[in-house]
Amino acid sequence: MPEVFDALPGHEVPVAGIRRGLAGLWAEAGQRGEPTLEADDAKATQVNFVLHLGLGATPTDAQEQFATVVKFSRRHPGRVVVLCPLHADVPTLEMRAKVYGECFLGRTKSDKRCVEFVMLSYSRSARPFLENQVSICLSTDLPLYYWAHRFSASGRLADYTYLLGRAKRVLLDSAIAPADALDYPWPNPRATRDLVYSRLLPIRQSIGQFLAAYRPAVLAEGLGAVTVAHAPALAAEARVLLAWLRRRLTACGAAMDAVQAATEAIAEGQGAESGAGLEATLAYSAPGRSFRWRGELANGRAIFQADFGTGRTELTGVARLLEPEIALSEAMFF
Amino acid sequence: MSETARHPFLHGLSKHRGAPPTVVVIFGASGDLTARKLLPAVYNLGHDGLLPADFFLVGYGRKAMPDDEFRALAAAAIREYSRREPAAAVWQQVAAPMSYLAGAYDEAGAFQRLAAHLDGLERRLGRSLQRLFYISTPPSVFAPIILNLGASGLAGRHAGTPLHSKVIVEKPFGRDLESARALNATLRSVLAEPQVYRIDHYLGKETVQDLLVQRFANAIFEPLWNRNFIESVQITVAEDVGVGARGGYYEQSGCLRDMIQNHTMQLLALTAMEPPGSLEAEAIRDEKVKVLHAIQPLTIGPGGDVTRAQYGGGMVGGQPVPGYREEAGIAPESATETFAALRLLINNWRWQGVPFYLRSGKRMARRVSEIAINFRRPPGTLFAGETARFDLAANTLSFQIQPDEGLSLILNTKVPGLETRTQPVKMSFRYATTFGSNTAEAYERLVLDAMVGDGTLFIRGDEAEASWRLYTPVLEYWRNVGRAGMETYAAGSWGPPGAEALLARHHHGWRQP
Repeated sequence: MPEVFDALPGHEVPVAGIRRGLAGLWAEAGQRGEPTLEADDAKATQVNFVLHLGLGATPTDAQEQFATVVKFSRRHPGRVVVLCPLHADVPTLEMRAKVYGECFLGRTKSDKRCVEFVMLSYSRSARPFLENQVSICLSTDLPLYYWAHRFSASGRLADYTYLLGRAKRVLLDSAIAPADALDYPWPNPRATRDLVYSRLLPIRQSIGQFLAAYRPAVLAEGLGAVTVAHAPALAAEARVLLAWLRRRLTACGAAMDAVQAATEAIAEGQGAESGAGLEATLAYSAPGRSFRWRGELANGRAIFQADFGTGRTELTGVARLLEPEIALSEAMFF
Repeated sequence: MSETARHPFLHGLSKHRGAPPTVVVIFGASGDLTARKLLPAVYNLGHDGLLPADFFLVGYGRKAMPDDEFRALAAAAIREYSRREPAAAVWQQVAAPMSYLAGAYDEAGAFQRLAAHLDGLERRLGRSLQRLFYISTPPSVFAPIILNLGASGLAGRHAGTPLHSKVIVEKPFGRDLESARALNATLRSVLAEPQVYRIDHYLGKETVQDLLVQRFANAIFEPLWNRNFIESVQITVAEDVGVGARGGYYEQSGCLRDMIQNHTMQLLALTAMEPPGSLEAEAIRDEKVKVLHAIQPLTIGPGGDVTRAQYGGGMVGGQPVPGYREEAGIAPESATETFAALRLLINNWRWQGVPFYLRSGKRMARRVSEIAINFRRPPGTLFAGETARFDLAANTLSFQIQPDEGLSLILNTKVPGLETRTQPVKMSFRYATTFGSNTAEAYERLVLDAMVGDGTLFIRGDEAEASWRLYTPVLEYWRNVGRAGMETYAAGSWGPPGAEALLARHHHGWRQP
């Protein structure tokens, strides 16, 4: 997919001249009167970030993810390497490179952060040499974060064990990853993070704080079913939210093996429920006990309805998913 | 030359601005090193006003050529390799006193002619000239040159004065302990040790010199510079180029001789030595020798302290490149290593149990030379949170010698936010961003040091022997086993699996600088 590489910003340089290209980038910026790197302290080499665009990425999608990384870099500037594989039918041992840089100016002169991007396009036959090339684009000693985006099959990840093994965090989005991605034998499973889980942070926080007002035993006692209903586009979020609820309820003492747990899609235009993007329900065997959280993501509002034997409570709250660049930050650092 | 021995008119002036009247004679004047390094170094010294007012340069080589042709060669070399654009006025100053003499290196008569030529310069000048001989030839002619310098009387000129002749010798200082001893014996038969300047250009690099300043001029490092706080030390001298046109030479040399035995050992010595009593050359060199002698003999063979490999085909700079044994001038069954990695232990109070990992190779992922000091992790579990989110990095102090000379220190810091989360950050100092990028090349510094008689940044004979004493058993072992145990690594990579395994056995891993 050279079109993905071509669609990304930056100017093309020889692969052997990436460092010179980056240096030249700032020199040219200075000539245009734009911010330059007068000292390394403005250069943002405090994290290494590899965005690996899989074969499933389109030019538009790639530009979208690139924009997300640019926004992320405003807060966490770093050396960003974007990998763009070519389809298997490209027979040449080919690698191409582009460089790109941006500086973000804050309110004071010292609040200037600059970020450097290196885009690498590579053919399948060049893949065995890719990791060495990436290694010299990274800043030594600093942590590496690796985002595998729209890879077409989990098995392909075996070609990148260097990056997967070295990365402090490996990020994937289970909403768009192959079905077996979460079961893939990651070299360092503790480092793997699902961006869906990160996106759900405000919802987990909101539900967690509400339920934390009750003793764990109260939440576990008589629990019969856990259900997360979802709009069609939020199936992954529902699955992850359900898994999180199961883990937390287990920690509260619920015997989850005996509890029904499921997600279910909310059909389009299903009456009054159609505004709910996500809806979590805990069903209890004891009469009068219930918990329901309904998140209307379209308007950012959530409604809690609960009765744990102390009377019915109804509250409103905030329901939103994290913005993509904040979700990246959450997955990487927290 | 000590301060007290210098001319009263130089008192209080930089010793580097007080070089005495000198004639530099380059043996191997038409060679590659002369063109790439020596002539540009002389030119830039002239540009900076550091050459003495009475300065002459004589090229000596086997090939006959008139003075003008030598000047033309020099002009071309300076245009191509100097860090500065040639300036006409400076070139005139450097070129006017240039001359060339042709002769064999083992021809006594030629050295008599050379002596007469230098005497003639001295007579025309009307005052004494220091003779500085730069031996930039293949090692096979080191001995005849040295012996002829002695026989012709050139080596002994102005003995007992600061103008006593000096000789700069390029590496290699032998092929093993026996040949190093033989070379030293030859040198000592003609010259006193203070007249000999064994050059290792790494010592002329700013960061290498800065290592001493960082260690001994900052109170924060030296108290930590020992086995109590340092987990390991890694020294990397990596090249991204292959053997190129030097295949014939390299086949006879290999990585251990070409890089490890000299450059990396000098870096190790400066890193590990005890504080010298002063900055005098002998005080520093004494400490370097002491630490070299304290290195334990290497365990050789499978599972030992040394690994070697040759580069295979691969990709460098996005382009496919051939393997070592496919290069011109390389035997298909060559047993010459292009990569070596080893683990050294220093048996003294300061370093007991701290591994020093050294590696060097051709066709590695990038050209980089660095010393990395890996500190021990902080004790305790203060930051061992519930989700292991406090993945603290080890503090690492790295001296980058080339390219981008400078140093950096890795610290753990708090990520801004309500909760305490940590992230490693890098504090960097780069010479180019602080002092500008057009700083003197190593050869400029070293040629000038030899001119002013400062041997601090040169290798003493016993240093060279101490290093060969360590590595000669390795070379003998490799010679006996042929290609057995030789690994292959992809060109453009960081080395073979065996190098990784060497560190993994001790729960360490190589950096990728």
